[in-house]
Amino acid sequence: MADRLLFAKEGRARYISHLDLMRTFQRAFARAKIPIKHTEGFHPHPFVSIALPLSVGYGSRCEILEFGLLEGTGREEVPARLNAALPEGITVRECYPAARPIKELAFVDYEAVFDYPDGLTPKAEEALRAILSRESVLVRKKSKKAKTGWTEVDIIPRIKSWQFSRRPGALVLEGVLAAQEPGLNPELIRAALCAECPDLAPDFASFCRREILDGEGKVFR
Amino acid sequence: MDRRLEKILLSVQKPARYTGGEYGAVVKSREQVDTRYAFCFPDTYEIGMSNLGMRILYGVINGMDGVWCERVFAPWGDMEEAMRREGLPLYGLESGDPIAGFDIIGFSLGYEMAYSNVLNMLDLAGIPLRSADRPELTPLVVAGGTCCYDPEPLAPFIDLFVLGEGEEVTPEYICLYRQARDEGWTKEEFLRAAAKIEGIYVPAFYEPVYKEDGTLAEMRVREGSGAPETVRKRIVEDFDHSYFPVKTIIPSTEIVHDRVMLELFRGCIRGCRFCQAGYTYRPVRNRDPKLLAEYGKAACEDSGYQEMTLSSLSSTDYPCLLELCDDLLDYCAPRDIGLSLPSLRADTFSMNLMERLQRVRKGGLTFAPEAGTQRLRDAINKNLREEDLLQSCRTAFSGGWNGVKLYFMLGLPTETDDDVRGIADLARKVYFAWKECTPNKARGVRITVSTSWFVPKAHTAFQWEAQITREEYQRRVDLLRDELKRDKSITYNWHDPETSWLEAVFSRGDRRLADVLEHAWRHGAKMDAWSEYFDLRRWTDALEACGLDGDFYAHRERPRDEVFPWCRVDTMVTPAFLWRERERCYESQTTPDCRTKCSGCGANRLLKGGVCDG
Repeated sequence: MADRLLFAKEGRARYISHLDLMRTFQRAFARAKIPIKHTEGFHPHPFVSIALPLSVGYGSRCEILEFGLLEGTGREEVPARLNAALPEGITVRECYPAARPIKELAFVDYEAVFDYPDGLTPKAEEALRAILSRESVLVRKKSKKAKTGWTEVDIIPRIKSWQFSRRPGALVLEGVLAAQEPGLNPELIRAALCAECPDLAPDFASFCRREILDGEGKVFR
Repeated sequence: MDRRLEKILLSVQKPARYTGGEYGAVVKSREQVDTRYAFCFPDTYEIGMSNLGMRILYGVINGMDGVWCERVFAPWGDMEEAMRREGLPLYGLESGDPIAGFDIIGFSLGYEMAYSNVLNMLDLAGIPLRSADRPELTPLVVAGGTCCYDPEPLAPFIDLFVLGEGEEVTPEYICLYRQARDEGWTKEEFLRAAAKIEGIYVPAFYEPVYKEDGTLAEMRVREGSGAPETVRKRIVEDFDHSYFPVKTIIPSTEIVHDRVMLELFRGCIRGCRFCQAGYTYRPVRNRDPKLLAEYGKAACEDSGYQEMTLSSLSSTDYPCLLELCDDLLDYCAPRDIGLSLPSLRADTFSMNLMERLQRVRKGGLTFAPEAGTQRLRDAINKNLREEDLLQSCRTAFSGGWNGVKLYFMLGLPTETDDDVRGIADLARKVYFAWKECTPNKARGVRITVSTSWFVPKAHTAFQWEAQITREEYQRRVDLLRDELKRDKSITYNWHDPETSWLEAVFSRGDRRLADVLEHAWRHGAKMDAWSEYFDLRRWTDALEACGLDGDFYAHRERPRDEVFPWCRVDTMVTPAFLWRERERCYESQTTPDCRTKCSGCGANRLLKGGVCDG
């Protein structure tokens, strides 16, 4: 495995699921006539792997896809050719040889926008600051493994840093969250707020990955 | 993106169905178009996007300057509920704009069970259901597709129906509409002019007059409307020069037929007496194999698909099939692209062809003998001999296939219990063929027998026939089930009878059924092709409320001189020919296929020069 794409997933493309996205890339490589390595076995198919599956509906400017470029195509021409073959909203920003293992991808810098059209932004900020300042905050989360179908996770140890800003009718949380083993879905911060202060549940919440970082907080590629 | 939509999308299943933005979707600038066309498919995205006809017309319409065609599908229940809750009207996938503001709303009608979705989609769009309640020219509501061969049950809702193939007539009526709009014609003025275009049926100009017994006295042409006595369906005469969607939309989420579809020819040479498509798609027109190979390769390149399927009513009847397969396989095999061939006839299935397909990937094997005995197969003119079917199975089993699906119909005209038991006999013979030929007995075999309840259709030799009663259908199912219960390798599935009955009501229905449809819809009918939603009670209640008897439509044999609701629709296959075919059924006489001998159906009159199969 030698190559990586850095791509954005925005707008209408946010609703493409992880599996569908892999299929979309496999076809896009074929459309762009960029030969890539295939899996072996009975039904060989173009191999692609996307690190850190993104929840449906989330935006991202920093998704990573691994694949193997076969001879005949220069990495520098890959983004433009693929972009011409991809659906609206998916934009390849870079193509480069993989240097570091994915397991060194430690943090994701998220932007979460909570809508409060009714002017509850200051209250919500206050409540969230209080929650995030605690030593430990347990949040109920759906689980495939647990017999009850639910499990509890402590979100605090998985949050590296956070800060707030405001927009008209919305509260913006910028948070650097653990990426894997185990990662934290920023949706759980919303869930914590809703559990503690149901009357401060945002009208709508949208999430976007802004950057991926290594263990030292430096940009990961 | 609309904030309400964004909110909704996170709460529904498979939201990518509702966003548009796929590769190949046509996005034009609102300022640079003057005519907006909403192409509505009255079923889910996954079904609608698998429809080749939709892709063809999408390409044809968007090929017109100044016209923007967008897709609209029926939202699944969760999405519909959320849209109604948020007050979000039905929108075009490309622009996200509400379709109520479009110029033309066009429905593709492929099966009767989608009718309730037509009403539901109009309602979701905020457009009045009935043509009479839409006095303005815009939006114009039109419909096309095979159901329009009996347009009457939908007549009050639709401004005009397009009969036959839409490639040429669609731009014609769009141009006429533009002229009418720009010159300020009334809707009536436009419809009068439209009725003069060949292939366009304006239901408002034909008035059903009933006898006391509920049958039709006549379909009266409205005086002064200038509408023709009969409306002749349209065809594409030269299939080599008709539009083929090489470059088309590639969905970002999975659909039912997610592959390149290559249409080999239109029409069918066979003349099976029950088959509406076999009669209404006449005459046979082939596409040049070199052209097809080019299209197939180009479509793979542009789509990135790893699968291609050859499509037609009976692919093994394509005269250049082996040549085409060789050409395509030279391209597909080195690229790991699978080639599949549905609609095979068991008789012409050769070792040669099978080996060719096997070079890449091995799909399942499906045959449709339709009837269990030679006598009944002759009666329905399914010219398939048992020995040919068994030989095909032997070939397949020797080549390593270990599963066969066999499709039959119960309730075909002249069927007896011997014919029903004949299905079990045939399935057993297929099983013995496997035992005899398989290279690997240890793997076992799966033989699936499926039966459906025969639905007589308009414009076929059986348009006068009664559908057998539900009790009789059930008795025949039980008889066959009993026959097959000891055969462990044979699985028997039978089709749910409720939808087949309703299909029989609507497929030969008259205009009075429009009230039934609206009543059923008002009481919750939608997505009737889906068992999650279908409820027979809603429909029997609606029939009762409208004072109609469903069995009158489904189970009544019609006399030869009955005036049919579809009598103004001319497929160019003559009623005299259809009647002759029906009589030959009762004599168990076959009619040779069109290539062997012309049977004089009349469809050749649609072609300049009058010679079919070009």
